[in-house]
Amino acid sequence: MTLEEVLAARPTPGRPRGYTFPSFERSILPSGLQVLTVHVPGRPLISANVVVRRGAADEPAELAGATALAARAMTEGTARYPGVEVVEAAERLGTTINVQAGWDSFTAGVEVTAARLGPALELLDEVLRRPTFPADDVARLREERLNDLMQLRAEPRRRVDWAFVETIYTRQSPYARLLGGKEATVRGLGREELAGVHTALLDPRRAAVVVGGDLTGLDVPQLILDQLGEYAAGSGSGSASPAEVSAPEATAAVDRRVVRLVDRPGSVQSEIRIGHVGLPRRVPDFHAVQVMNSILGGLFNSRLQLNLRETKGYTYGVGSSFDMRRGAGPFSVRTAVQTAVTVPAITEALGELERMRDGQVTPAELASARDYLVGVFPLRFEVPSAVVGAVGGLFAFGLPDDELARYRGCVEAVDVAAVRKAARDHLHTDRLAIVVVGDAAAVAGDLEAAGLGEFELVAEEDV
Amino acid sequence: MPAPTVRFTDERLANGLRLIVAPDPLAPIVAVDVWYAVGSKNEVPGKTGFAHLFEHVMFQGSAHVGKTEHMALVQAAGGSLNGTTWLDRTNYFETVPSHQLELALWLEADRMATLLDALNQENLDNQRDVVKNEKRSSYDNRPYGLWFHKLQAHLFPPEHPYHHPTIGSMEDLDAASLEDVSAFFRTYYAPNNAVLTIAGDVDPAAARAAVERYFGQIPAAPEIPRPASLSVPASLGGERREVVEDRVPLSRHYFGFRAPVFGDPRLDALEMGVQILAGGKGSRLHKRLVRQEKLAQDVALFALGFVGGASICAGQATVRPGMDGEAVERVFEEELAKLGREPVTDDELERARALIETMELEALQRVDERADRLSMYATLLDDPDMINCQLARYLAVTPEAIREVAADVFRPDNRVVITYLPVPGMTDEAEDEEGAA
Repeated sequence: MTLEEVLAARPTPGRPRGYTFPSFERSILPSGLQVLTVHVPGRPLISANVVVRRGAADEPAELAGATALAARAMTEGTARYPGVEVVEAAERLGTTINVQAGWDSFTAGVEVTAARLGPALELLDEVLRRPTFPADDVARLREERLNDLMQLRAEPRRRVDWAFVETIYTRQSPYARLLGGKEATVRGLGREELAGVHTALLDPRRAAVVVGGDLTGLDVPQLILDQLGEYAAGSGSGSASPAEVSAPEATAAVDRRVVRLVDRPGSVQSEIRIGHVGLPRRVPDFHAVQVMNSILGGLFNSRLQLNLRETKGYTYGVGSSFDMRRGAGPFSVRTAVQTAVTVPAITEALGELERMRDGQVTPAELASARDYLVGVFPLRFEVPSAVVGAVGGLFAFGLPDDELARYRGCVEAVDVAAVRKAARDHLHTDRLAIVVVGDAAAVAGDLEAAGLGEFELVAEEDV
Repeated sequence: MPAPTVRFTDERLANGLRLIVAPDPLAPIVAVDVWYAVGSKNEVPGKTGFAHLFEHVMFQGSAHVGKTEHMALVQAAGGSLNGTTWLDRTNYFETVPSHQLELALWLEADRMATLLDALNQENLDNQRDVVKNEKRSSYDNRPYGLWFHKLQAHLFPPEHPYHHPTIGSMEDLDAASLEDVSAFFRTYYAPNNAVLTIAGDVDPAAARAAVERYFGQIPAAPEIPRPASLSVPASLGGERREVVEDRVPLSRHYFGFRAPVFGDPRLDALEMGVQILAGGKGSRLHKRLVRQEKLAQDVALFALGFVGGASICAGQATVRPGMDGEAVERVFEEELAKLGREPVTDDELERARALIETMELEALQRVDERADRLSMYATLLDDPDMINCQLARYLAVTPEAIREVAADVFRPDNRVVITYLPVPGMTDEAEDEEGAA
């Protein structure tokens, strides 16, 4: 065959190898702490995360930022390993103790070889249960956060995300805040406030230890009983979980189209967010929403990308996403475009939202999105840390154990009608916010004149 | 902790294409990674940004693949993909479920063989606009965004191929013509200038046959031109400083040094030293500048390996509001100089080794990373087996080797310092914040 003949014939796929998401086992220790173990054979590293069903959305408004600051301060010294010794002890095990506060959950994790799992769990226990929150270090971390807020104002991407959530949520909604808090509350955070937040994190009945990797020859529940002391063996109320954690208030502040421009003089691009209050993770038509969003702004060749990037050249990239949380997280279209095309870019993006909501989805579009989500699923879970993260997510959201095992079948069952219904139900083209961070001198006039919605200009110094 | 060995075969097709196959059936996925030995160092004055612009053009279709269809086909197959451009090289990669291997090979072969059949002015103009927006997003519209470009320009003289940024200049991007792009393709995008690695769930014999079928008839290019001379003295030969006023709330110092080239064992020693100086919260610079003296908001230091002339070791420290920037710079430089005077402690070295070991194990778990590294070592060092030696080389580094390379690299006359200062309006704001805090 000539080269031309070879290349003219598109290859056909071979026979797919089967894939199922690795199954996990659950043990419930006397304290009520859950242990979820996933055997992922042949991998040199084991990933272990303690996941607590409590996050920044659960902190009182006047302490906004306390959970995130506590997460940072927990590795600043423990009863047994004062100061930087705890960091150094982890480094000797070849790991870093990764403590993260999310909106819905709190996670402390390590990644180590099997031989080091025991000592690593002991360190996790120290960080989780016996942090000392030294006043001096807490003060330093608080200052670092305040400085970070100054940096945030100068960075258009972070600045626009902040302005966007403040626009779409009411002030009572935790999701209108920044996860790390703003000046007004951060300034008041000291070791007492952090200790308070920390105590609330410590109920083992709200927590699970997720361990994944090659677990051959390891008795993980026993290791955890040995290393996590009272936290594992203590007298909780047995296996009973505490009442379901409630979803935070997530109320929309926008009931029509609004446009908010935050001035950043000298910007050569406009950072744009378009959207509204979206959906909680446990939405019944989760899989249809994923397929719909992939077509709109998830795939590389999504409608938004093909229009704004590949046809118009307005941007390096544009995407859309539903950030699904315990409560209704934001839905947003996100892009940055050169200043001169700010209005046309917004108009095109709004057009795509309307077309998604009111128009048809072709069978080819449906197939691309469905095949992508189904096909890429095994790629997402190649290594133990990814599997452990996903299982931790099931626990954090209170999802059924077979949620991930069922995922591919559920996506395959999504049809054109389900995508259309998801678009009609969850895209609110008549009540959304268009938030722009850009050079007001260059774009304010056009943006207001375009009549895209109720217009507000936020001067830099009002921020 | 024994690192698993990556088994692979290494051969050349008759047309010069280097093929590396590293089978591992653990996960039902396979990675394909094509490295072309062409990067921004191959660009000539007036045509900067070309190698990267070209990377975008490579997704605009070829004789049998429509515009953007490459992405569509790979994603519909359940795969991920991208391309990257850097000073020494450009690469293109796909990770797909293993039964879709042929799709990835066919896509790479079609554009290597027939890209120019599909290239037109409209696609070029479109991607030029996309790249200009990439430049704005990634550099021009970001606080401190141009620091690395400034560092490059100071570390390498104007005629050196590493002097200019990979993203190029707006003027040069505007000037790129269809004929320029075609000539670039004919010159560099040929099987004898490429390494193709397949790693993961693959039958080596079947993969070899498929590669021979799709790539075997693509003609080799005549001799590939080498870039202008890359050699520079190991040291800069005099400190260079630049002060930049920008819309940033906090001052920041960037530091840059010429360092040993990629593949030189002294670069391994430097990387171990860099880990001890700035790798995480247990490191010397973090302990002293952030934790103890509270002069800096954050610190960083890292080495970027390049094959020609010199690598770059770069660092930064952000000055806390109200603190003295000169003190930050002094302490930063003191710690670097100290590494060149006194050997690191056994405990520091032990921690650095343990961390690097985990990082290497973590990275090599993934088929895409294995494919990337095999192609990288083959392209840049003509030695793909470095994938199995690199960790041992890090672990073999001695305190004396660290001291020696640090003494050579962290010299005042080998140093570039870029100081970012807030434009006046932003300084006032910073002081208000500090006062109220």
